[in-house]
Amino acid sequence: MNSPVTTPSGNSPTGNSPTGSSPNGSTAAGAAPAATASAPLSTPAVPGGQRGIAAQAIGLSKVYGSGDTQVRALNSVSVDFARGEFTAIMGPSGSGKSTLMHCLAGLDTASSGSVRIGDTELTSLSDKKMTQLRRDRIGFVFQAFNLVPTLTALENITLPMDIAGTRRSAEDQAWLTSVIDTLGLGDRLGHRPSELSGGQQQRVACARALAGRPEIIFGDEPTGNLDSRSSGEVMGILRSSVSQLGQTVVIVTHDPRAASYADRVVFLADGQIVDEMRAPTAESVLDRMKNLEQV
Amino acid sequence: MAQASSTLARPGASGPGSDQPAVAAKSGAAMRKVSLRNLAAHKVRLALTVLSVVLGTAFVAGSFVFTDTLQRTFDGIFDDTAVGVDVRVSAKEEESSGVPLADLDRLRAVPGVSKVEPGITGQIVLLGSNGKAVKGGGAPSLGLSYLPKEQQIGDQFTFTAGAAPARAGEIALNAGAARLGKLSVGSHTKVLVPSQGILDVTLTGIYATETETGGYIGALFTQPQALQLFTDGKHVGYVDIAGNAGDGVSENELRDRVAQALPELKAKTGDQVRHDIKQDINNALKFINYFLLAFGAIALLVGTFIIYNTFSMLVAQRLRELALLRAIGASRRQVSRSVLLEAGLVGLVGSAIGIAGGVGLAYGLRALLNSFNVGLPSGALQLRPRTVLIALAIGIGVTMFSAYSPARRAAKIAPVAAMREEFASTGTSLRLRTALAAVAGLLGVLGLVAGGTAKAGGGAAGLVGLGALGLIIGVLLGAPALSRPIIAVLGAGLGPVFGPVGRLARTNAVRNPRRTAATAFALTLGLMLVTTIAVFGASAKKSINGLVDNGVTADYILTGPDAIGVPVAAAPAAAKVSGVAATVALHPVQVKINNRSEFGTGVDGPLAQVLRYRILQGSADLSGRNLLVSRKWAEDNHWSVGSTVSMLTPDQNTVNTTVGGIYDDSQLLGNWLTSGSLYRELTPSRTLSDEVVLIKAAPGTDLAALRTDLERATDPLVVVQVQDREEFKGEGASRINALLAVLYGLLALAIVIAVLGIINTLALSVVERRREIGMLRAVGMVRPQVRRAIYLESMLIAVFGAIVGVALGLTFGSLFVRTLREQGLDQVSVPIGQAVLMLVLAAVVGVLAALWPAARAARTPPLAAIADL
Repeated sequence: MNSPVTTPSGNSPTGNSPTGSSPNGSTAAGAAPAATASAPLSTPAVPGGQRGIAAQAIGLSKVYGSGDTQVRALNSVSVDFARGEFTAIMGPSGSGKSTLMHCLAGLDTASSGSVRIGDTELTSLSDKKMTQLRRDRIGFVFQAFNLVPTLTALENITLPMDIAGTRRSAEDQAWLTSVIDTLGLGDRLGHRPSELSGGQQQRVACARALAGRPEIIFGDEPTGNLDSRSSGEVMGILRSSVSQLGQTVVIVTHDPRAASYADRVVFLADGQIVDEMRAPTAESVLDRMKNLEQV
Repeated sequence: MAQASSTLARPGASGPGSDQPAVAAKSGAAMRKVSLRNLAAHKVRLALTVLSVVLGTAFVAGSFVFTDTLQRTFDGIFDDTAVGVDVRVSAKEEESSGVPLADLDRLRAVPGVSKVEPGITGQIVLLGSNGKAVKGGGAPSLGLSYLPKEQQIGDQFTFTAGAAPARAGEIALNAGAARLGKLSVGSHTKVLVPSQGILDVTLTGIYATETETGGYIGALFTQPQALQLFTDGKHVGYVDIAGNAGDGVSENELRDRVAQALPELKAKTGDQVRHDIKQDINNALKFINYFLLAFGAIALLVGTFIIYNTFSMLVAQRLRELALLRAIGASRRQVSRSVLLEAGLVGLVGSAIGIAGGVGLAYGLRALLNSFNVGLPSGALQLRPRTVLIALAIGIGVTMFSAYSPARRAAKIAPVAAMREEFASTGTSLRLRTALAAVAGLLGVLGLVAGGTAKAGGGAAGLVGLGALGLIIGVLLGAPALSRPIIAVLGAGLGPVFGPVGRLARTNAVRNPRRTAATAFALTLGLMLVTTIAVFGASAKKSINGLVDNGVTADYILTGPDAIGVPVAAAPAAAKVSGVAATVALHPVQVKINNRSEFGTGVDGPLAQVLRYRILQGSADLSGRNLLVSRKWAEDNHWSVGSTVSMLTPDQNTVNTTVGGIYDDSQLLGNWLTSGSLYRELTPSRTLSDEVVLIKAAPGTDLAALRTDLERATDPLVVVQVQDREEFKGEGASRINALLAVLYGLLALAIVIAVLGIINTLALSVVERRREIGMLRAVGMVRPQVRRAIYLESMLIAVFGAIVGVALGLTFGSLFVRTLREQGLDQVSVPIGQAVLMLVLAAVVGVLAALWPAARAARTPPLAAIADL
């Protein structure tokens, strides 16, 4: 475990039954044997291959406003995200793709339905528990990088761990070093965000997400503010974290090229999942999107 | 915004230099609309700015209303004084014995004079029904003479109960005094006349008077008794004269006749008397007004930084919007004018509320003072147009002045800024500013060093003042550069305790050094003044303590109220107590030497037994017309032992005295000493008084028992206090503390405004950092951590400001005190404990100021990181 990048596939300690991924969210998958709730918290990350469900939405609805102005952003969406899989959520503007991700990531609360990260049911969590869950079990990559401008790159990378206030073990430190090396940030650690290019900033953001070895990383248009070269770099990082380390990654994107890095693409329209695709290519995704927008 | 920009697009299309008046008018209206919409959109953000304008202008308006009201009511009262008096005659020298009684007949003989009424007044202490002195606060407490109505000039007293005093031992009181003393007609009580002793009296009547103010005591005695109690039997203070009604002789003519008949006296018409009294009152009120205005000015100065900061931040937050305005064709002038217009409106609203607040403040201040029976008349509050204009001008002026530089910066925004996703508002380099700071600071330090090392006196104080000004400007300019290292050091201590939250707080605190500096500088100014005053207070207390410890050997000290001193009967009473080895009474002496008023001390008793002093030349013998003078005073006047000093008494007698000895300078002894008998020769008997009586116990006397005996012996003189040296020092300290309390109270206003500034800065910073805080929440920062980060940031800013302010205050205070070392402040005391306390309080205040902004920050949803919610 000293070199996680080269020895990615430890066995998952979470003990979930290997149900595999079931398209269109079979609810049976949600009935995974509930280990003690604390087990996933204390032993996150180092996921082992495609076993178990990392995140799950069941009958998820999100309604904004009321009466005439009511908008149903999500309409009873059920979907599973398997461990160690890279999923892209796509859909036209207003399809509800961002809302779905926000609810899955504990950034927003659903109107009805249930969301699980691992075995933890999010809908019943207090703000404090939800925050801790985001901190300890989820990683984020945002469109606008969202680094703290007054902190150095290294301080930004370790921020979630520092906030948690837990002492970093030698293992954590080794992992951190390898993430930094892999992402090529070694000579940028003392720089502030304003001294970094957009691509570099997003790599720092990726490092921040990876450093905590979260159960799942969510990306909200992670390439939205980047040129194509930097986009490629960032998607490459996310791809290899899935392929080599068994990391689970879910991103929202409207860029077919970015989506082509994923194992699976889920298409949303009008708040519902309308399709999904395995082993996507940029062309196939683009075609599908064109069809969606015509509907 | 969309609406405003669509209207703006038109003038923009025709170019900024459009010469069509119609278009210009339209664009002006459009920019006004932008300003107004902005104010409406930022109501909450501007509220605190308005509040700082309100506080400053309220204080200014309040001090005007307060003094105008007093002036108006005093004018009303004194319009009714001396009614019917055509001419008032007094001695030419104010401190003299007065008008000789022998002159009364000569006055009566002046053609046209119908009534002559001698004015006889003196200080008294009235005892209430409980046998204790009636406390009248700061209002006068006087004994007056009563003449039967047919002999009186005018009709001064309307009796509401009982009748006027008819024989010795009877008095009448004004209604307020009777109420304060819980006395009614027929009550038996006592009156203390300091120069005579205690007197049994019966209250025969209660009267109403125009001069009735809270706490005023006016006891009427029969004229013969008043003459005996309050005069030397040969003189009266002044004489009022009334002419015959209807004989056609004018006031002026009567005055001229009186002046001609008695040229050695001063004659004034009744109108002149009333005018002069009003003038005196107005001068006193003017001083109060300036005093209060000074604190209003300090508050406004502090407010300037807050307003400047708020507008800087609002402009920074609206960079994109302003750039958009520029991009669609608004000219620089239009942009800067729209910001200034906002400032003007903030100033208008703030000062309008401030004026209302000022009226309330004046009302409250009067009520507060009257609750201490200070003797302020009641009357309708006076809000003059002048007050309104000044408050508005100051409020609007200060706000627009403060917003000027942000407005200019707003105008300089490049239109392309609107296109950029993130606009770095780092501002220009601090290098020039810091260089100027270094120059000003250096000059300031030079001035301070020069002033501190110069010979004591006005020149040195002036140098220190200039140096202080230079250093303040230097610190003001250099504060952004200073903030980084100081906050880095302060923040370093937070790291181990608060971890990453502490680090965030520290880096956030220096994120925008200009903003931090301006926010902290408001607190710096306030605390600088507080600390300077604290140094003065501590030094004064230490100097007094040193003086008493080193100079006073008396075991007990008798003191009395300021207005009357120790009743003269106290010293003889104390002398009779067994165990008393020596009593020494000290008296104030005033004479003219070489045509200059000089103040000395008359001594009755063996001075050497109660005070420690050193004779340098000659002897300590004070008998006859011997004079003891201080070394410095002797040097200044080129006197030596044997020199003749010619003194002119207030009664215009010349008394030649001889310097018998020269003593080492001592604050206790002052410039010169005379014997008691010489003192009585130099001083008109109506002004004879004891300042303080010092008592030395015989060896082996039980001091506690002696004290009881002394208290018993002086008890009939109600106002006498028996103090040991420690209590005497304590009384000095408590006077200084009372003065300090008033000053601190007034400076609290500036501190409150500074705290508002911190709240404002933090609240606006939280708005600015919304995305960032959202991100922190998204990656796992719990709400208490978010709050803690803001608390700590606020604490760092406040403590930074406090450290600078306290350091400046300690420096300035010490140096100013040093320049006063020959005026009695010979010890510099640095109140370290108080300074530390101020820093701790600043930290607490910092956290308190952050409560609301931190609560707001903690409510930031994590989604704010992603979307503009």
